[in-house]
Amino acid sequence: MSDKTASMLNKGGLKGKDDSATKSAKGRRVQFSREGPFESVMSDSPKSGGKGDFSKGGKGDKGANGKKTSTSKEPQPSEPKIEFPENVKCLMDSEAADILQRIQDQMVMLSRDSSIKIPVSFDKGLEYAKSNSKYAKPEFVGQTLQHLAGYGVSDSELCVIGNACPETADEAYALVPSLKGKRSLNSEILQDALSELAKLKQPI
Amino acid sequence: MFFHIVLERNMQLHPRYFGRNLRDNLVSKLMKDVEGTCSGRHGFVVAVTGIENIGKGLIRDGTGFVTFPVKYQCVVFRPFKGEILEAVVTMVNKMGFFAEAGPVQIFVSNHLIPDDMEFQSGDIPNYTTSDGSVKIQKDSEVRLKIIGTRVDATEIFCIGTIKDDFLGVINDPTTV
Repeated sequence: MSDKTASMLNKGGLKGKDDSATKSAKGRRVQFSREGPFESVMSDSPKSGGKGDFSKGGKGDKGANGKKTSTSKEPQPSEPKIEFPENVKCLMDSEAADILQRIQDQMVMLSRDSSIKIPVSFDKGLEYAKSNSKYAKPEFVGQTLQHLAGYGVSDSELCVIGNACPETADEAYALVPSLKGKRSLNSEILQDALSELAKLKQPI
Repeated sequence: MFFHIVLERNMQLHPRYFGRNLRDNLVSKLMKDVEGTCSGRHGFVVAVTGIENIGKGLIRDGTGFVTFPVKYQCVVFRPFKGEILEAVVTMVNKMGFFAEAGPVQIFVSNHLIPDDMEFQSGDIPNYTTSDGSVKIQKDSEVRLKIIGTRVDATEIFCIGTIKDDFLGVINDPTTV
């Protein structure tokens, strides 16, 4: 495209000795046509206007182009997935419950200091983590699931499995559809890991 | 899901907190400032678990305040699309129901509730299957899937669905 426009501009420059204004305007028009959605509107308006309008249209378009590029860039940064940059470790609810419980035990000592208040989200987080940790031996859950990591299952997927604790491979596939894409992983391997996981469950 | 994450923050400290307890003061101020906050990027900061390091302080021009870069570890709670959560129903109405998973609110619209469940108004509004075997009402526990999140300055709000295989009520408060 850029080659084309360059050649067009050159042509304009060569022929444009007699009528430079219109040729330069043509050159601009070619530039507009590169800009996608604005193309039709922009190429139409110079046709309808006189020479004076050409340059105005051109300037206006440049402004519009500038805006367009900025708007087209904006959505991109907001799109990226929830993946945190680095230094991040997914925690299963049982692990989180363990950490938060230890903090709360310390808080009891600290609570004599009235300036330190335990925020609502801490209590809610702890309550949630506790109610969702279904394992009698949370420390072995990680080991059991780590076995699956060898089959390309990501950390966050392992955590979802660990939290939901599905009973069958079908259930795991339904809850975490991305597992279907793992070629090396088959339902037997998954089922084995899930039955291991079930053994660690707290008897209800 | 909970995450353990290392974050950095520039802490401004008034000179009156300087001295032997500077580090303690800095840490308690950090806890006061960040715990319970919510950001779109990291979710709810549930608790600070440790300090990685505290950088050299920099005196602010014109004031006595000193800014310290502090690296700290914390536990955050952040729901994401496709995650499976077990949540407690907090309110039921004809539009759907609200549920809570930790600090996060989740709304499940009636379009995302299985078609065989009908809204029943009354003292305890609920969604019930035609044979009455399954009931969703306040305090029911449901397993749901997050399909969308909206992040505010102070809270995260999610849209969930139970219209999928292996989703729905886990336990019913009336039967327990």
